[in-house]
Amino acid sequence: MQTKFWIGIGLSLMLLALGACAALDSGLGLPARHMSAEELGGETKTCTNCHDARGEKLAFGSFNHTATWMETHRQQAYQQEAVCTMCHQTSFCNDCHATQVELKPSLKNQSQTYRQMPHRGDYLTRHRIDGRVDPPSCFRCHGNPKTAETCARCHG
Amino acid sequence: MIMTGWSNRFFWLGAAALLCLPISVSAAEIRVKSETLVRGYERDTAAEEGAAVIPVYEYLQIDVDTPDEPGLSMHLYGWGRADLADNEYYEDATDGELLYGYLEYRRETARFNARLGRQYVFAGVTNESIDGLRLGSDLGRYFAGSLYGGQQVALASEQGRDGDSIYGGRLAHRLPGLYELGTSYKNIRNDSSDAEEMAGLDLTAYLPYDLNLHGLSTFNLITEDWAEHSYELRFSLGPLALRPYFQTFQYEDYFGTGANSANPFRFLAGSDEELTVGGADLTLPLGAAWVMVGKFKQYSYEVLDDNSTYYSAEATWSGADHSQIGGEFGFMSGDAAQNDYYLARLFAYWDQLPEALPLGFISGDLVYVGYDRAIFGEDKSLFASFGGGRKFMEEALELKLSADYSSDPYFDEDVRGMLTASYRFGLSR
Repeated sequence: MQTKFWIGIGLSLMLLALGACAALDSGLGLPARHMSAEELGGETKTCTNCHDARGEKLAFGSFNHTATWMETHRQQAYQQEAVCTMCHQTSFCNDCHATQVELKPSLKNQSQTYRQMPHRGDYLTRHRIDGRVDPPSCFRCHGNPKTAETCARCHG
Repeated sequence: MIMTGWSNRFFWLGAAALLCLPISVSAAEIRVKSETLVRGYERDTAAEEGAAVIPVYEYLQIDVDTPDEPGLSMHLYGWGRADLADNEYYEDATDGELLYGYLEYRRETARFNARLGRQYVFAGVTNESIDGLRLGSDLGRYFAGSLYGGQQVALASEQGRDGDSIYGGRLAHRLPGLYELGTSYKNIRNDSSDAEEMAGLDLTAYLPYDLNLHGLSTFNLITEDWAEHSYELRFSLGPLALRPYFQTFQYEDYFGTGANSANPFRFLAGSDEELTVGGADLTLPLGAAWVMVGKFKQYSYEVLDDNSTYYSAEATWSGADHSQIGGEFGFMSGDAAQNDYYLARLFAYWDQLPEALPLGFISGDLVYVGYDRAIFGEDKSLFASFGGGRKFMEEALELKLSADYSSDPYFDEDVRGMLTASYRFGLSR
């Protein structure tokens, strides 16, 4: 109970700070929206084509969409969601991160084979092994009562 | 109960505050995107063998905003499905979900952002869909914070929403270009009792020699122990980029999320297992078009006293626009033969087709998996998909047709087809 009291105090102080600081210029000057791929000529593929990997406003190198980005972007999204929203609407994230969807991402976007997507091919069979070997990776997207509805048909 | 009342008050106070904000709608744009998918395949149902299943999905996205200016905006996205054949394959012939629907207010200064309604929150230990209010802002140059409160969407199916609530936040300290250290908290209550309470630390440090450290630790405040530690380094040796990483998960604390958990994870929470994962990714660009990737990932289980390792190699060639050809070979090997398999994948996407052709792109995907131990008497899976499509009406309309074939332990032969029509309506006023 004492822990909850201090957490409540902390959250309340942060609410006050949010109200007080929202009008102050942080000096970072990052825009809410980035130029679109069309405006960039459709050729720029990584952040560091134009920005410094360790810029004064942001370490842009951490946001390069590398060949392993699909598996490694968790930390960037948790720390800097506002950077994700500069280019992506939430609907883009919802292909994978959603409370209830029936079509797995690689099926809904079946012909977009150039996109990195989880569960390609016959994952119904492969998940029997991946689920045994690495259940924490399943839990991140299927870990609550609604997102686990796809699991409930067989797992109860 | 007290916190439920608190989060409800937070929600309504936010609603009132948003409605009091100065609103400019003179240059607002309304953008609507409709994506209609018609699928067709056969399934055995209780009533019929080889019954036709023809689900039609509609994904609808509506945005009302001034894209290049801060201010008030509205965003909505959801899907619905109806089975045209209605052969009792689905539990309900129609289904759907509002994935998000919120009002947003953005200020230019401090990146202040307020969202009210159904939305996804990603912040430290939080990766949740909520019906509520979220506030986020820079707190001067060296701090940033976010707060949210409302009801968790996922718990709506657990005895209704009475007494349910979710609230939390994240506070981060940063020196741009040097480090960012965040602390976060999440509390979920179901039917007026704690369902999940997590606290976390997340860190990104930009070290000398272009060495970057990223990681997070999660503490379960109900079981009072660490649930997860995940840390990785990123650095380059010449053109070769490396990402070694290390993770530990304590199942009781990681999967032990009370009423917010679900099977099969509830079962795992009682297993006392501790999983340690170690591995590395290596990425090597060769010229402007080729990228080679090597992966190694080892899993070690303390209670089960077992190990598995996954190795893979990928090669991708990228051309103009989205044109890409690639392949992947990987295998899982470990102490238990039932976990061993190998996987081979070839894929292609080509959108540099001659103008004379009626197609704007073609795509193909081939995945073959061999299992060390047969599953339902089969020791392999073969999956193949092919697609093509084109844009019309100044690229506002896109039609795509794809088909896939699978022969695997669950289906001797399964053929499915899908037609997708995407249309972007753009109106200005």
